[in-house]
Amino acid sequence: MGLTMRWALAPLCVMALAACGDGAGKADGTGAAAPSDRTLTATLGGDRAFGTLERVLENAQLGEVLAGKGPYTVFAPSDAAFAASAGDLGDEAMKAQAAAMLRAHIVPGALTRADIEAAIAREGSGGEVRMRTMANSLLTFSKEGETMIVSGDNGARARLTGAETLASNGVLQPVDALLARAAAD
Amino acid sequence: MSRLLPLPATALALILAAPTAALALDPGNGNGKGAGGDRQERGNRGGDDERGNRGNGGGNGRGPERGPERGPERGPERGNARGDDRRAERPESRVVEIVRGRGDDARGRGGDDRPTDRRELRRVVEREVFQTRDGRSVVYFQRDRDRGLIAGCPPGLAKKDNGCLPPGQARQIARAAAADRYDWLWRSRDDGFRYRYDDGYLYRMNQQGSLLGYLPVLGGALAPGVTWPSQYAYQPAPDYYSSYFGLPQGRDYRYADGALYGVDPQTQMIRQVAALLTGQNLSVGQPLPSGYDVYNVPYDYRNQYADSAQANYRYNDGYVYQTDPRTQLITAVIQLLT
Repeated sequence: MGLTMRWALAPLCVMALAACGDGAGKADGTGAAAPSDRTLTATLGGDRAFGTLERVLENAQLGEVLAGKGPYTVFAPSDAAFAASAGDLGDEAMKAQAAAMLRAHIVPGALTRADIEAAIAREGSGGEVRMRTMANSLLTFSKEGETMIVSGDNGARARLTGAETLASNGVLQPVDALLARAAAD
Repeated sequence: MSRLLPLPATALALILAAPTAALALDPGNGNGKGAGGDRQERGNRGGDDERGNRGNGGGNGRGPERGPERGPERGPERGNARGDDRRAERPESRVVEIVRGRGDDARGRGGDDRPTDRRELRRVVEREVFQTRDGRSVVYFQRDRDRGLIAGCPPGLAKKDNGCLPPGQARQIARAAAADRYDWLWRSRDDGFRYRYDDGYLYRMNQQGSLLGYLPVLGGALAPGVTWPSQYAYQPAPDYYSSYFGLPQGRDYRYADGALYGVDPQTQMIRQVAALLTGQNLSVGQPLPSGYDVYNVPYDYRNQYADSAQANYRYNDGYVYQTDPRTQLITAVIQLLT
């Protein structure tokens, strides 16, 4: 009987291991993925796609915050997004600016894409939903076809790209542009 | 920048602090620490909102000779940093005054026989503590655009011995402003003022360019390794935050302008930025403000606090807020203790 039970549990164990392997924390679109055991800071450090963001985070001395309890959701601009308009936020003289920029990309709590999609769906066709950032600004989420769009102040606009990562203390949501920008003259 | 209190001022500060320190020992400390699971709070917010009164007064710049004399005004408040669990039914507001006299130079400028420089510094520490039905407290921080704006001559300018010229006139500031292409980052403070950043501080000016005050900012004058700016008001963090965020003992935790800082109580050195907070004042009976449309409850609590036809749940700054889906009114504030 005991042996039978052990074999019966074996497939579950394999599934659990698969969920926590290389793809740990990667959501499967249903919002049901288990979070990784790595913090947001560790996740950023281990992903080459966010090298600039990691430098900016370090420059702003906020790495400890994103390694802490949280939870936070970080909208993580790609290296290309930083290069386009704010590549110097990793410079020593730009610590405060780096912190201000980062705060506009962080919201409280754990926001999965499934959560955002569900909220937009509740609003009906063309619906928009909003979340407040740590910079006291608002991010607006909407959908264009299958693409999820997030807009910040002054017309900043980005797409949620790639796969989200569920870290131990929040969610990393890749975006393809910065969510804060100077007002158009 | 040394932050040591000169002896006479220290003694006076202790005397002034004594009543409030005693109050801090009132029953009500340690609300729920170590309790398993989460605990539900039903905040009963008082109707008296005194948030309009938060400025830091006094200390206007009178010239370069006052430059090094910043610092002693924090003493009395340290004793209150853990007094946040006091029960109160109304927002509390505390005023601490320090009068400095001869011998207030703590920076080793021995032999300085300047005439007595006597001035008064007044600080207001304000936060709101509300008693819950079961006798525990919920502390609301307030994020306000004006909070912490310091009047007078900022450290950087005072040091430069330039007569405390406002940024619009001081060459250094003008140069920095010209070079700073990120000034737009500060314009989210959409309050009709102009802002410029330089050397850790944000300078507020009117449209004519006159300096109105300055504000230390995260990553600048508020960063790990930097001494807490003198005269800058803060709100002591409640014990609940130490518990929720798992913060190390032996530090003062201060909320200011959207962040929680761990400060060495002896040296006043900022040791860590412990958390980012929205600082939004959400309380029972109020409608949930704009910006909480998406379900964002931490993973560990999702089974317990799932949205339903009867209640929605949103996380913010260490608490979960229960709302009525029909009215959008906040019906409960829930502490998340692990």
